Formats: sequence, structure tokens, C-alpha cells
Amino acid sequence: MAQPQSDPVVALSNVRKTYDLGGVVEALADVSLTLDRGSYAAVMGPSGSGKSTLLNLVGGLDTPTEGAVTVGGRDLSTATESERATVRGSDVGFVFQTFNLMPRLTAVENVALPLVFDGWSRTDRRERARELLADVGLTDRTDHRPSELSGGQRQRVAIARALAPTPQIILADEPTGNIDTETGDRIMDLLDDLHEAGNTILLVTHERHIAEHADRIVHVRDGVVERIETVTA
Amino acid sequence: MDPQESLRIAARSIRSHKLRSTLTVIGVVIGIASVVTFATFGASVKADVVGNVAGSGANNVYVFGQPADEEGFEQALQPVFTEHDVEQIAAMEGVQTVIPRGTVQVNSVTHSGDTVALQQVTATVPATVTNDSVVEGRAFRSGANETVVNEAAAASFAQNVTVGDRITVARSNETWTLTVVGIVNGTAGELPIGGFGPDPRVYVPTDPYYDTVVESPNQGVRQRAYPQLTVVADPVETLTVTERVESYLGADADARQLAPDGIELVARTSGDFAEEISDVIEQITRFVTGIAVIALVVGAIGIANIMLVSVTERTREIGIMKAVGARNRDVMELFLLEATLLGTGGALLGLPLGLAVGWAATRYAEVGFALAPTWSVLAVLVGVLVGVVAGLYPAWRAARVDPIDALRYE
Ligand SMILES: Nc1ncnc2c1ncn2[C@@H]1O[C@H](COP(=O)(O)OP(=O)(O)OP(=O)(O)O)[C@@H](O)[C@H]1O
Ligand SMILES: [Mg+2]
Repeated sequence: MAQPQSDPVVALSNVRKTYDLGGVVEALADVSLTLDRGSYAAVMGPSGSGKSTLLNLVGGLDTPTEGAVTVGGRDLSTATESERATVRGSDVGFVFQTFNLMPRLTAVENVALPLVFDGWSRTDRRERARELLADVGLTDRTDHRPSELSGGQRQRVAIARALAPTPQIILADEPTGNIDTETGDRIMDLLDDLHEAGNTILLVTHERHIAEHADRIVHVRDGVVERIETVTA
Repeated sequence: MDPQESLRIAARSIRSHKLRSTLTVIGVVIGIASVVTFATFGASVKADVVGNVAGSGANNVYVFGQPADEEGFEQALQPVFTEHDVEQIAAMEGVQTVIPRGTVQVNSVTHSGDTVALQQVTATVPATVTNDSVVEGRAFRSGANETVVNEAAAASFAQNVTVGDRITVARSNETWTLTVVGIVNGTAGELPIGGFGPDPRVYVPTDPYYDTVVESPNQGVRQRAYPQLTVVADPVETLTVTERVESYLGADADARQLAPDGIELVARTSGDFAEEISDVIEQITRFVTGIAVIALVVGAIGIANIMLVSVTERTREIGIMKAVGARNRDVMELFLLEATLLGTGGALLGLPLGLAVGWAATRYAEVGFALAPTWSVLAVLVGVLVGVVAGLYPAWRAARVDPIDALRYE
């Protein structure tokens, strides 16, 4: 399966990330990685190997200590706080293990939230949010709050929210980690559909069978990319 | 971000903590309401007192002695104005009449068997009783056993005093039996410096009841002398009369030689008094209102406190908002808006409450109600400002929340 032409959406080059809490913790030592448009990659590795850190850097939630992180042509290591906020709001869509929905907002309001910061009008926001909720099969739950939804439903709201600003890439950090296997499979089917529809996806997981949904599996250990495995169907 | 949406989000988080928000708003309401109450009450009292003073005898010039270092209307009670002075002033151009006024020490007054303690009665001339002040009857005649009392005095006996009644005034060495020939309101023609409601007053003719005499330096004979004169001027000449009287007091007056050291003789119009009184009331109002501002500061601290709690509680939400694209500015704006809403709510509720309490206070004190528009508008603006200022630090803290830490936060 030869890529016709490389069109990188995300590029990390020699990225190092350390946390200084008394002693220096090296979360990422030296990572270089390129994600092409429309690709689907999974990151695997033991706990504490730096998977989430990698995802947070790509998502503009954090900045690298050394090296460059380019998302949609913009280098996040030199971006201002407000530029990174724009990246978070419109270039990437985050899906978290713990959903991270706003507890006081309804499903449709949660999905519309990124569009508030992206400057959409209220009616456009609502319309788009309803469409997306319909796409993830939640037409009848639009006005429920997260506490009134099951784990799988919450994660689907979160995925709809991640898609709202039509991001260049969807970042999912153990999206099935907090839900049962069967529901998790449904979430994975949804991500497969999104990939089919042309979305770029970067997924973090512990589980082999989840990772196998992707085209490539990036094995990370102690803050470095150990190897990149190509998944054959 | 969309200001309408900001407002909606801020309002929602206020609503989601109803009790807490209500208590916080109450803090501001109390602050704003106290400021408005005191300012309104002060303005009402001022308007009432100044109205009374300015309304009473605008063409009266009050002549009295005052301690030289006194700014206000402190009177010296020495009887320094002699009959000679009265005549001299009465002869001036523009002067209609001169009303001397002195006090006679007494012990008590009896009416229909009811005795009331009274320290002094006022000895004066019939001109004291004017058409404006008389409620019933007429002025006493000079040299007659007649008296005029004011309404406050008439009401102080078990049985109300009416025209034609007799009252007995007891002094240490004699008693006078007097026929009441008139009732007046207020404290007719006196220095307009009483508080609310006039004190009881009993007026008697100087002849024969006033017995304070001194030797007139100009005349060389013993004459009656008074601590205070009221010069009734032609209305259009009040100011020139004031000047004439003052220059007389500074030159040939008996009073000038009789006045002890440190006593200054002054001539004042009711306009002067109105100004002085309103200055004093304004100062008191400002002071009391200033104290009420402390309540407002406490209200502001309440907002700041609750906003800080809110930032801590919502750290995770702040993280989520940042993760989906909120800029530091957006977060700052949301929290600032929330604090401002609390302040504004407090101000909008506090204003009518303050006005209502202020109004009730004027009813209680029996003065007319007057608005203090500047203070009221200021109170609302301050309420809004209090919200903004109290929200600044918490909002800044919220804006600085690191999304990664916030999303880990449990
Ligand atoms: N904010 C932080 N402050 C300090 N150390 C951190 C921080 N975030 C991550 N680390 C450290 O960096 C290392 C990598 O963390 P990371 O969360 O990326 O691991 P992970 O691969 O996602 O693990 P898991 O599979 O358990 O989620 C760990 O040793 C962790 O303790
Ligand atoms: Mg992780």
C-alpha cells in the first residue's frame, strides 16, 4: 500500500520533553515522527513511556523542551499561547480517556463549544452540532447532560466535539480505556468510519487489538520511538 | 468570543450555584443599599432643613455675637445690644423693624393645673409674631400681661393651650399670670438653627418682663440689653442692610464696647445660615456614607472570595475549555464577566432597597424625601466596578491555568 504522495499534516523532529519537578523527568527523549494526511496511526508502549506527552505536544496542549512540532504547517514550539489555542480549537480534535465533557452543558452545547471559540454564530453552531451528533448516532440525546449519558454515549459526544471545527487531525488518548469492550468496539468502528471519510487520526492505546485498527503502530519506550510497525489487514 | 455566549456561560455558572451566588450578591446589596440610604437620607435632611431656613424670613438679618474662632452659628449669649443700638439700627435706610430678643430665666409654666418645667421664656416685641407664623390669635401688646406660645409649647400640657387661656409662669422670686393671645408655629423669627421639630417656646413682651439692663456707653444711662436682634429689611435691600449693620457694629455700636474680648459681632442672613447648615449636613453625610462604603468593600471581598473558590472548583472545566480552543483572554473574560454580573446584580437590587430604606428613614424623621442622584448613580457604577475589581485577580488566576494540569485535576 504505497502512499501516492507524502502530504504531512503533523511532523515532529527531534522532540525532547522534560518535566522539572525537583529532579528532571524525561517524558520524551528524542522523537521524530511524520503523519500524512488521511493516515491512521496508533501509539503503543508501556505506562509512563511518553504516549500521552506525545499526543499533548501534537495537540498544542504543551510545548516541547527541544525540537519542533509542526501541525498544519505551523510550528508549535515557537507559537504564542493564543496561536496554540487556535490550533487546539480548529486544527486538532481531542478525544480523552476520561471524556472531559463540560458537566453543566448538554450534549449539543458540548459539541458546539469549540465553535464558540472559533467564532461561529449561535445558529450555525447548533446546526453543526446536531449534524455531528446525528453522525455519531445520538440524535435522541442532544439535550442530555453528560451525567445522563452512558460512557459510550459520552465518548461519542466527545468524538462529535472533536470533529466540530473540521480539524486536520483527530487525537485520541485511550478513547476506549474507560468503557467496556463491546462499547469500545463501537467507538473503534466510529473511528474507522472517520478514517474512511478521509480524517487523519492519531490514537494512543495499550491494547494490541485496538491498535490494529490503524495503518501503522508506533512503539514507544522510555521516551523514544522503538520501531514503527505497518499493520497488514 | 461571542459576547452573548460569554454572557450566557457566565450567567449559567452563577445560576448553577444559586445559594452561593445569592449570598454573595446580598453582600453587595447591603453595601450599595447602605451607601444609597445614608446619601438619600442626608440629602433629604439637607433639603428639608435648608428649605425651612431659607424659607423663613429671607429678608431677616440676624445680629448676634459669636466666639471669634467659631466658623458656624455658635452664639454668644451676652446681652450686648442695647436699646440705643436697636434704635440706631431701626433708623437705618431699608430697615423695616428691629426685633430684639432676650431670655428670661424661669422655673416652670402651669396651665389648667398641669405644671411643666421650663428653663426660660423669650422676651421680645410684638413684631415677632408675623402673618406667616401666627396660627391663631394675634401678637401680644407691649406692656400687657399677655403671651404668645408656639404649637410645641401649646401641646406640652395635659390640656392643649388655646387662645384665651391663662398660664402661670413661675420664677424664683415671682410669678406672672399671663393671657395667651396667640399661637405661632415653628420658633418664630428665631435664629433658624433648630434641629427637626421646634422646641417649646413661650414669648412675653420685653416690657415689662425683660429685666436685663446695662449702662449704654453712648447714652450713659442704664438700658435693656439683648443678646440677639433680628433686623427685618426691605426684601430688595437685605444685602445692603446687612452691610450697613455690620459697619455700624464695627464702629459706634454700644455692643462693640460691651462685647467681651474674643466675641465677634456678626450680621447674617438666612441665606448664610442655609449655606452653613448645608455644609455641615453635607460633611456629616459624607462621613457616614464613607463608613457605609466599608460595607461595600466587604461585599467586594465576598465576590473575590467566591470567584477564587469557583476558579479552583472549575479548574477542570477551564482545562476543557482551553483544550477545545479557549484562549487565556476568553477564560479571563468569562470569569471577569461572572464577577461583574454579581456586582451589577448587587447594585441593581441595592439601589431600590437603599432608596426604600432612605425613604422610610425620612418618614421616621419627618422630613421630606429628596433624591441624591449623583450618589445613586455612583453607587450603581461602584457596584459594577466592585465586581470588575474583585474579579480581576480570580480571572487572572483562571486564565493562567495550565490545560494539562487542569485535565489531570480530579
Ligand atoms: N505534567 C507532568 N509533570 C511531571 N511529570 C510528568 C507530567 N506529565 C507526564 N509526566 C511524566 O512523564 C512520563 C510520561 O508520561 P505520559 O503521561 O506521557 O505516559 P503514558 O505513556 O501516557 O502513560 P500511561 O500509559 O500510563 O498513560 C511519566 O514518567 C510521567 O510521570
Ligand atoms: Mg497516558
